[in-house]
Amino acid sequence: MTNPFNLPMVGRSLRNLVSRPATRRYPSEVRPHFPGTRGTIEFDLDTCVFCGLCARRCPTVALTVSREDRSFAIEQLRCIACGVCIDVCNKDSLHMSVEAPRVHLRTGAAPGDPRPGHEEWHQVQPAAGSPPGQGDSAGGTAAAAV
Amino acid sequence: MKRTVVPMGPQHPVLPEPIVLDLVLEDEKVVDAIPTIGYIHRGLEMLVERVEFTEFGYVVERICGICSFMHGMGYAVAMEKIMAVEVPERASWLRLIWAEMSRIHSHLLWLGLGADAFGFENLFMHCWRTREEVLDIFEKTTGGRIIFSVNRIGGVRRDISDSELVAIVEKLEQLGAGFAETARIFETDPSIRHRLGGVGILTREDAHAVDAVGPMARASGIALDTRLTGTHFYDRLDFEPVLETAGDCLARVVVRVREITQSIDLIRQAVERMPKGEGAPIETKVRGNPTGETFERLEQPRGEVIYYIKANGTKYLERFRARTPTFANIPAMIKLVKGCDLADVPNIIMTIDPCISCTER
Repeated sequence: MTNPFNLPMVGRSLRNLVSRPATRRYPSEVRPHFPGTRGTIEFDLDTCVFCGLCARRCPTVALTVSREDRSFAIEQLRCIACGVCIDVCNKDSLHMSVEAPRVHLRTGAAPGDPRPGHEEWHQVQPAAGSPPGQGDSAGGTAAAAV
Repeated sequence: MKRTVVPMGPQHPVLPEPIVLDLVLEDEKVVDAIPTIGYIHRGLEMLVERVEFTEFGYVVERICGICSFMHGMGYAVAMEKIMAVEVPERASWLRLIWAEMSRIHSHLLWLGLGADAFGFENLFMHCWRTREEVLDIFEKTTGGRIIFSVNRIGGVRRDISDSELVAIVEKLEQLGAGFAETARIFETDPSIRHRLGGVGILTREDAHAVDAVGPMARASGIALDTRLTGTHFYDRLDFEPVLETAGDCLARVVVRVREITQSIDLIRQAVERMPKGEGAPIETKVRGNPTGETFERLEQPRGEVIYYIKANGTKYLERFRARTPTFANIPAMIKLVKGCDLADVPNIIMTIDPCISCTER
């Protein structure tokens, strides 16, 4: 027979009334990342020798490297941020960035407005000096070339 | 008496995943239940023929968002067996630690979902708040919260420093002390006992007959735990399986609550007993293509999972199959649902901890 006056949740609930909230007030309070957190792939054109090893090892075929054009492209929506490309790169040309776009604060958009952060993923961002037509067609490809 | 068929699913408020149960009712009593699965079949067995075996590990851990580490580990261990690769000792210890952390976060997630299913939303939030601390440890050590990508054939990709391991144990012991109050609520709260006690009783004989696995079997008094076979370094730890004998929904909740404490203790033991030394190798280089076949068993949070792999000497595997614990527990679930009240069906389904994504792959 259970005791109907045994209410172990009541004490906890009363404590919650006067304690700090468990959640963060995003976007004014942003959660810090740990040093090893995986994020999005960033690419350093200056050190890359365009060997293409990262593209060959990528499990989702998200990378395209061309030695002839000296270009590098990553399809962000295919990337699973496993970090294999970073592990295999002999020149340390690839690294992870955890800087997530803070959509409301950065653009000044109200919460109800369309979020530009998501559209940016679909935009092609050819670097200055890239060959004409580079990355024009494939949605979600950020391309860079020297 | 006139019979009515009530289709439950594939979309249903209590079940976040799609499974259909056609419930045949006589008044409010369920007299039969006909399951239909296959709504999220993703064709993994076809995919394995087109993805290289070194890369397939990243696909395998995406079978499920909760057991992702265990799936990746099971695949890696099975491939290591086929390729006769000796894994560095430190890598095996690290796998064990991450596997037990997966069990903690899976059980906390399920306890929250279970509490939400029987109408205790406050408790749901407490469980998930505690789980967040485990996910933080995962992010710190593997770089990801849900998908970890640390398993690789031949070892693991990231090391945890000795000082960090000690800090993890301290953090988990604090978490366990804080969770003790939540555990007491699950075990003693009269509304929970009233709602779950005596509901959906699976006797020991029935559990044997329908081949229940994991906490489902242990709540019916069967000491069925793949960890007891001593593989994956569990033979170096001291533990007894958590057993309950009532076999009802409450017993299944209590088993999972106690397994959280047990997993924290296992991680503490592992950190104490693993050899110290951060520079120790964590990976063996694997060369060549696999040939042969094997199968591997693991104790996932939901129960025993079996992987079967057949390789033909090329870089593509010939066959990959996973028998997941939810698939093994569906006959038990059908057995429990027959004869219960319609209002108890959601609780019974929840207490098998269903993962339809795992089941259908």
